[in-house]
Amino acid sequence: MVEHVRVVIVDDHSIFRSGLKADLDETIEVVGEAHDVESAVAVVTDAAPDVVLLDVHLPGVAVPAGTSGGAEVIRRAAASLRQAQDGAEPSTRFLALSVSDKAEDVVGVIRAGARGYITKGSSGADVSRAVHAVAGGDAVFSPKLAGFVLDAFGAPVGETASASDELDRLSAREQEVMRLIARGYAYKEVAAELFISTKTVETHVSAVLRKLQLSSRHELTAWANARRLL
Amino acid sequence: MESRAQQVTDAAASVDADAAPSAPRLTRPRACVATGVAAGLAAHLGWPVWIVRTAFVVTSLASGAGLLLYVWLWVFTPWAPGEERPTRRAPVAWLLMVAAAISLIAAWATSGRVVESGGNGLEWWLLAVFAGVGLAVASGAWATFIDRPDADRGPRQELAIRIVATALLAITALALVFGPNANWFPVPTFVAALAAVIGIALVYVPTLIASWRDLTAERTKRIREEQRSEIAAHLHDSVLQTLALIQNRAGATSEVARIARAQERELRDWLFAGDAPAESDLGTDLRDFGAALEIDHAVTVDVVVVGESRERASGEMAAAAREAMLNAARHAGGEVSVYVESTPEAVEVFVRDRGPGFALADVPGDRLGVRESIIGRMRRAGGSGEVRQGVGGVGTEVRLRFPAAERVEVGRG
Repeated sequence: MVEHVRVVIVDDHSIFRSGLKADLDETIEVVGEAHDVESAVAVVTDAAPDVVLLDVHLPGVAVPAGTSGGAEVIRRAAASLRQAQDGAEPSTRFLALSVSDKAEDVVGVIRAGARGYITKGSSGADVSRAVHAVAGGDAVFSPKLAGFVLDAFGAPVGETASASDELDRLSAREQEVMRLIARGYAYKEVAAELFISTKTVETHVSAVLRKLQLSSRHELTAWANARRLL
Repeated sequence: MESRAQQVTDAAASVDADAAPSAPRLTRPRACVATGVAAGLAAHLGWPVWIVRTAFVVTSLASGAGLLLYVWLWVFTPWAPGEERPTRRAPVAWLLMVAAAISLIAAWATSGRVVESGGNGLEWWLLAVFAGVGLAVASGAWATFIDRPDADRGPRQELAIRIVATALLAITALALVFGPNANWFPVPTFVAALAAVIGIALVYVPTLIASWRDLTAERTKRIREEQRSEIAAHLHDSVLQTLALIQNRAGATSEVARIARAQERELRDWLFAGDAPAESDLGTDLRDFGAALEIDHAVTVDVVVVGESRERASGEMAAAAREAMLNAARHAGGEVSVYVESTPEAVEVFVRDRGPGFALADVPGDRLGVRESIIGRMRRAGGSGEVRQGVGGVGTEVRLRFPAAERVEVGRG
């Protein structure tokens, strides 16, 4: 029995929200919906769901220039959740859903705190799987996101982290994992290929996600903008 | 002279041979001396060119009738049909400039005599000054409007003409103001000097017109760009969303989803056009090929490109990769992942599908597809190819590798 996951869907297109709702499997309960930045923050704070499925592009009254509505929701909702729970780190996680292939948008939401990114073209089963992964604390990487990460951290030109806590480069193992994900491997297959456990793969992916969120590498956006890799 | 006229006649005649056998249509040949009027008219009338030219000169002496006719014909006679830019053998701008200089020098040389004779011939003197100024301006205009697109002359000649014209007219103006005439005939001299100064301004007017035109074009372009990005934003919010929804409701490999995906890709390419690389590299090419495959086969192709792609789309590597993708689309279907990585050492392409899979050893030797078109091709080109079963026995993965070392050498040399 897979555990039950409570989800809020944030998207400005009601047709997309209802479509997605119908497609998610029965272990996922949709506890709220929102259509713009302001309502999303209110609904998420109110419902405190396990996972927020979040469109990258959201209309909102006060979205600062240079960021997307999705990233803004993550920032504001996380802050107000923390406040509501008396400063405790909220357990709500964010999964970005996007039709946008623009790297700056996707990297923007990831850096704002999203735990993963999938395209809106993904099937209901894929989305459900991703929701469960994110709810369980894992990161969800699409092949394109993995490819972008490799590029942004200089893997093709042979940059490798020497220490595991180095934020601006990937370790050799992390590069291997990212390469396999970029080649279309599922975590399980990555584990089999590298003779490690799935759990270890997940740890590596989470480590990469953390680097993506915290690294100050200017290439992150420079690369993304120049090549629209995602 | 005769032979050139003959050539022109022949050329014009052959162009219009079937239309009008008696007299070729009146057109100006594209390779001409100055404007092509004389040569065109000669071809039309069947006369030698020198007669036509002489006639123009002679009739011009009769109150400028010939000149008028010449200009009339110049304005209303079309170029001979053809693609190439008209070329002019005569350096018309410089000839005009020389004429201007002669005219002005003549005026300067005679100014003393005009003063001595107490104003006798003043009108001729003035005429020479005005003619000089007019010719200098005409020279500048010719260089700007007519000679500029000419590859042999172009902006450099234009600049030279301008400098000479400015110098000539400035010296004229100074000479007039400080010369002897200014004392004796202040008003006509002042008018002449003013004409010279206005002439300088006129020489630069074409530049102003040109930059005004550029400015307008720039503004139009910007407005168009703004409109386009507005439309793009709107389409992004509406149509792309709907296409995404269609895809995920219809099931990834259904006909409808594939069409929606193809449309989405096309729309996206259009929306973000402009920042696409002009030259097709390996990644772009495989992406396009994947899009084409999705239309013909029940398959979704995900192409991920990492690293600066130096491999050209026309190479053996690309051909082998396309073959592998086609194989995957045909025999496996479903989801196909393509991964292209360019490192300084090598270019690698992985094509992965989740179909029933096959091992190379099981493929009969007479099936040339994989063995020849992928692995053999890579080996002949100096790379390597490998087909193996996917992880966990699911699907097939083709791995292509091409070392970059020699290509870098070639690039350097």
